[in-house]
Amino acid sequence: MMDTPFNAVVPMLCVVFAALAVMMAEAFRGRDEQMALGGLGIVGLVGAAVSSMLLWNRNASSFGVIVADNFGLFVTMTLVIVGVLTIMFSSVVVRRDGLPAGEYYALVLFAVVGMIMMATANDLLVIFIALEILSLAVYVLTGIRRDDPRATEAAFKYFLLGAFSSAFFLYGIAFTYGVSGSTRLDRIGAFLAAQSMSDSPLILVAIGMLLVGFAFKISAVPFHMWTPDAYEGAPAVVTGFMSTGVKAAAFAAFTRVFLSAFEPFSVDWAPMIWILAVATMILGTVVGVAQTNVKRMLAYSSIAHGGYLLVGLIAANDVGKAAILFYLLAYAVTNVAAFGVIALLGTRDAANDELRDFSGLWHGRPALAALMTVCLLSLGGLPPTAGFIGKWYIFSAAVSAGYYGLAIIGVLTSVVSVFFYLRVVVMMYMEERDPGLAAPAHVGGVGMVALVASIVVIFYLGVLPTRVLDLAAESISTIF
Amino acid sequence: MPETLIFYALSGFAIGASAMVIGQRNPMYSVMMLIASFGALAGLYVQLDAPFVAVAQIIIYAGAIMVLFLFVVMLLNAPKEDGSEWDRSHPLRQPAVVRLGGLLASLLVVQLGWALLSARGLGGGVAAFGDAETVSSVRVLGRVLFSEYVFAFEATSILILVAMVGAVVLARREGEGS
Amino acid sequence: MLALIPLFPLLGFLVNALFGRRLSKTVSGGVASAVMVASFAVSAFTVWGLAGLPVEERAIDQTVYTWIASGDFVLDLALRLDPLSAVMILVITGIGSLIHIYSTAYMHDEVDSEFARYFSYLNLFAAFMLVLVLGANFLVMFVGWEGVGLCSYLLIGFWFKKPSAIDAGKKAFVVNRIGDYAFILGMLLLFARFGTLDFQQLAAVVAGIPPEVGVFGVLSIASLLLFVGATGKSAQIPLYVWLPDAMEGPTPVSALIHAATMVTAGVYMIGRNAVLFSHAPETLMIVAVVGALTALMAATIGLVQNDMKRVLAYSTVSQLGLMFLAMGVGAFGAGIFHLYTHAFFKALLFLGSGAVIHALHGEQDIRNMGGLKKDLPITYWTFLIGALAIAGVPLLSGFFSKDELLFEAFREGHTVLWLMGAVASLMTAAYMFRLVFLTFHGERRHDAPAPVHQLEDESAAQAHDDSHGAGARPHDAPPAMAFVLIVLALGSVLAGYVGVPHALGGHNQLAAWLAPSFAAPGGVAEGLHVLSEGEAALEFTLMGVSTAIALGGIAIAVLIWLRRPQIAASMAERYPVVHRWLLNKYYVDEAYDATVVQPIRVGSERALWRGFDVRVIDGAVNGVGAIVAGSANILRLLQTGMVRTYAGSMLIGVVFILGYYLWR
Repeated sequence: MMDTPFNAVVPMLCVVFAALAVMMAEAFRGRDEQMALGGLGIVGLVGAAVSSMLLWNRNASSFGVIVADNFGLFVTMTLVIVGVLTIMFSSVVVRRDGLPAGEYYALVLFAVVGMIMMATANDLLVIFIALEILSLAVYVLTGIRRDDPRATEAAFKYFLLGAFSSAFFLYGIAFTYGVSGSTRLDRIGAFLAAQSMSDSPLILVAIGMLLVGFAFKISAVPFHMWTPDAYEGAPAVVTGFMSTGVKAAAFAAFTRVFLSAFEPFSVDWAPMIWILAVATMILGTVVGVAQTNVKRMLAYSSIAHGGYLLVGLIAANDVGKAAILFYLLAYAVTNVAAFGVIALLGTRDAANDELRDFSGLWHGRPALAALMTVCLLSLGGLPPTAGFIGKWYIFSAAVSAGYYGLAIIGVLTSVVSVFFYLRVVVMMYMEERDPGLAAPAHVGGVGMVALVASIVVIFYLGVLPTRVLDLAAESISTIF
Repeated sequence: MPETLIFYALSGFAIGASAMVIGQRNPMYSVMMLIASFGALAGLYVQLDAPFVAVAQIIIYAGAIMVLFLFVVMLLNAPKEDGSEWDRSHPLRQPAVVRLGGLLASLLVVQLGWALLSARGLGGGVAAFGDAETVSSVRVLGRVLFSEYVFAFEATSILILVAMVGAVVLARREGEGS
Repeated sequence: MLALIPLFPLLGFLVNALFGRRLSKTVSGGVASAVMVASFAVSAFTVWGLAGLPVEERAIDQTVYTWIASGDFVLDLALRLDPLSAVMILVITGIGSLIHIYSTAYMHDEVDSEFARYFSYLNLFAAFMLVLVLGANFLVMFVGWEGVGLCSYLLIGFWFKKPSAIDAGKKAFVVNRIGDYAFILGMLLLFARFGTLDFQQLAAVVAGIPPEVGVFGVLSIASLLLFVGATGKSAQIPLYVWLPDAMEGPTPVSALIHAATMVTAGVYMIGRNAVLFSHAPETLMIVAVVGALTALMAATIGLVQNDMKRVLAYSTVSQLGLMFLAMGVGAFGAGIFHLYTHAFFKALLFLGSGAVIHALHGEQDIRNMGGLKKDLPITYWTFLIGALAIAGVPLLSGFFSKDELLFEAFREGHTVLWLMGAVASLMTAAYMFRLVFLTFHGERRHDAPAPVHQLEDESAAQAHDDSHGAGARPHDAPPAMAFVLIVLALGSVLAGYVGVPHALGGHNQLAAWLAPSFAAPGGVAEGLHVLSEGEAALEFTLMGVSTAIALGGIAIAVLIWLRRPQIAASMAERYPVVHRWLLNKYYVDEAYDATVVQPIRVGSERALWRGFDVRVIDGAVNGVGAIVAGSANILRLLQTGMVRTYAGSMLIGVVFILGYYLWR
């Protein structure tokens, strides 16, 4: 790749152009003409992936606010994978549910743009704009099924509370700017490191406000309450997308902001995040046990997973930082696939996401049941899946940083969480199909391809994690 | 001294108007109060030597956006908020709970005030940026916007595009486009 | 080469899991058994190679590949065959093969797809178990550890139409998870303290640390956590409750998993970390006491149970207790020896009981059996051999291992523990023969239940024609099952002769074979204890005591349950409280339910879910259910207003965070 000042934004631009192309194609589409709009999007995402690989190890930076360092590129790759899988699952769902294809894919792609921007931004203002881009797109995607009151409700709740949290986030940026005179993370970091400001309440309040904004996006307790509603109300494939992509992007920015700009204040923010992490792990797990709706159960599970990721952030040693990256990837692939199964099981009129809808799935659709089992085992952190390596890595980071309490709580909650993942497995294998239920829906080819691909990745990460772990370690070595 | 007086008057007015926006039952009045609040904010910007921002505030917010709001309110023809759905027996609707919310909000205000008051003399970083003269200059503002913040500026266009697409999707009538 | 051993069963699993629905029973059962036999052949071959090496080099390492390597943390997917794991893989693949063969006949009534599902689980289990024992570090062992837990869960709940089977599966899983939790913590602690999880490296490091006598340091805590994990897997106090319920699974599963292999994982784990445990004498003491208590308690419960498999289950718990007792007094070789002989006779007993249950079409209550001796001769004689072996009758395998174990306990000066073990042995002999007598001797108390599919009048006719009607007679085991029973019976007799004690002129080859596995690497294997004159005399004395115990237990059984059945009844009448407590297993299940299960369930459901979620969140959903889309609805939605609660929750968070920073 040529060295130009714009290198760092190339991955993002690929996706932007794909989104624009999708919109144009939709505009000029004949009334009943079929177009592979999703395919267009995948082309753009692949372009983003290729350009990310070319940018690897080059530390490109554009406009001073977008940095394509390895950390950002690793997350970008994760987001591309999430995007590709989502589009593949969507291709089945969009046709089945009669969703507006052009708008749908354009919004997914724009959301990915926002996520990539957030992961590579080096400026609080850009992070905020990226946050809004992805949030707006996801709010609309949540409510894209206009005929479903649950979806409309979920979208609206998500939107209102998201706006509320954005206000805090913006306030935090303003305070930070007021103290340091800049929104660039490197300058803020340098400024804070140079002055001894440990007693300044202003900067602490700014950190607190930014923490609130991030905590909302990663649905940490007590900023999580929108999560179960939004996840349950949204179409399953969108839920898979937002539970992984938004979380990955928010975590990338969270890590970058707190471990670069606010690193001098880690003594101050670590205890607070400790509290959030513990509350998040415990609540996500315990309430998850009582759920009877699989989507809702997975919503609580994803809350808990946010807690595990926070553990890595607190540990903040090299292992911890690399663990965050690895965990994000493992969690993203697994969760997208799990929601993909739910999406594929649904029909236009019924979501089929209650626990009993899974009864006897093994007898009707053995392949789907087996794939779902792998996803659930990976979420539960059982070897030899991606989830196990991720958890092991996170907890060993916590232990080696001396956070024994976190490790104990983390292990305990993940042990308990297996209980509710396995409940679905039990339903699928050890129950007879409820005679009142319709036979499980037929699954389209593209969706199945996406599922099998995710499973391959899950096992790859679980059995041969070394390559990816090295990449993750390489990613954090260049920054922080 | 008169500057301080004007400042307090304007901020008091802005706060009062904002409170009335929430307090009004009639959406039309709410919109009007919002315009008043924006006007007061514009006054504050003038006081801060930022006439450009003040004018932009009036033109864009108080002007364009509020007109749109008014149209929407009138088109929906909702003279009053519909209060019939209030379920007063719900445990979270009890006065005590509502008061707790109020208490939390005022606590937040106190905290912010506390933080700002105890942080006098800080903000050296901002002061270094330039004196009032330069900050208020449209020319300088334009330069900064298209050099230092050019990416943020361009990225905003994507944000607006997403918002437009979103509005189209949500405004589409059911069953269309399938 | 080593990797092939678990790979064969894994291959069998894949075949049956992916194509099992399209395969006939002969093919899927055949494939499953063949892979096990192949795995056994490979094991035998490699162990043969191992035995050919000089003692100090007796270990074969194979790094399949580097599993996790990141920075200075390197973890290989490494397998290690040393004398200890050699014994284990032979037991697992050997007895595993037999049980697979047995199962082809036992499970023949299942439909094709279920049959394949059964064998796929069974193969997967064997693969994980082999990974467990071959793993060269904790993480690989943990893969197997979790895997066997999962498979046992699936197999216990195999007959998912029985609600009791599902409950039992769930119970096993939950209880095991508690143990696993401690196990992971122990593992993390060792990793944090020593920076390695490799057994060899760990042993080398630990060997350089003075034993924590009288103090409870890192080693003691870590080993105690590991031991708690072992109590889960190996069914010891306080986590033994799942094992008796696990008998809800098919009988061959009980034989394979809950007697011969999986439950021994905990004992094996302690043997594998012998150096670590011997440097934590306080923990070892706890291990010994828990083992002895479990042995005693389970034996008392076994005396009064009426379900055939349940009696065997409690005897398993009790025998495992004895193994832990041996481990706890530092007699690692004796513990593994007993593990090895126990695998034979317990598998035999379970499979024999399976043959009885099979013949009686699912009847498991021994009160409804009796007089089966004539109908099931093969089953009877093999079962009898198994019972003699477990009772510790001289010259059978159980005698040698149990005797060595108790002798070591006594020699190490743990007289009380020895006494507890001896009493448990006495009771074992008694209840095993109670089982034999009630099942095979005496009056037949069953009315030879006809096969379910037979016509009504036919069975009525048979009821008349009790003695002559051939159809009414329970059938003895079919050839595949009979073959397995006979092989196992031979094993139960002969297996002990690898460890004939010196006092009887033997050389105790097994102990010598195992010794290097319990020593620190590089260090000289502690020379085998050469018995002094006095000790040899002591061993003879104790051997006599053991023999007396075994025969005494059998005599008691003969007296109470064969000659004077009324004694049992009058005893139960005279001490109703004791009887009731024993029959209800000391009410441990009920106590756990009241103190642990209910509070958690109620807490989760009421406090967190009902209070928080249902009220707050579902309230909103229900309120909204009737609303149709549109902007008016959105306004209305606002007014149902639960979003405010969410915002309120956020506000609490904000105020809390800011307050923390401002006023801490």
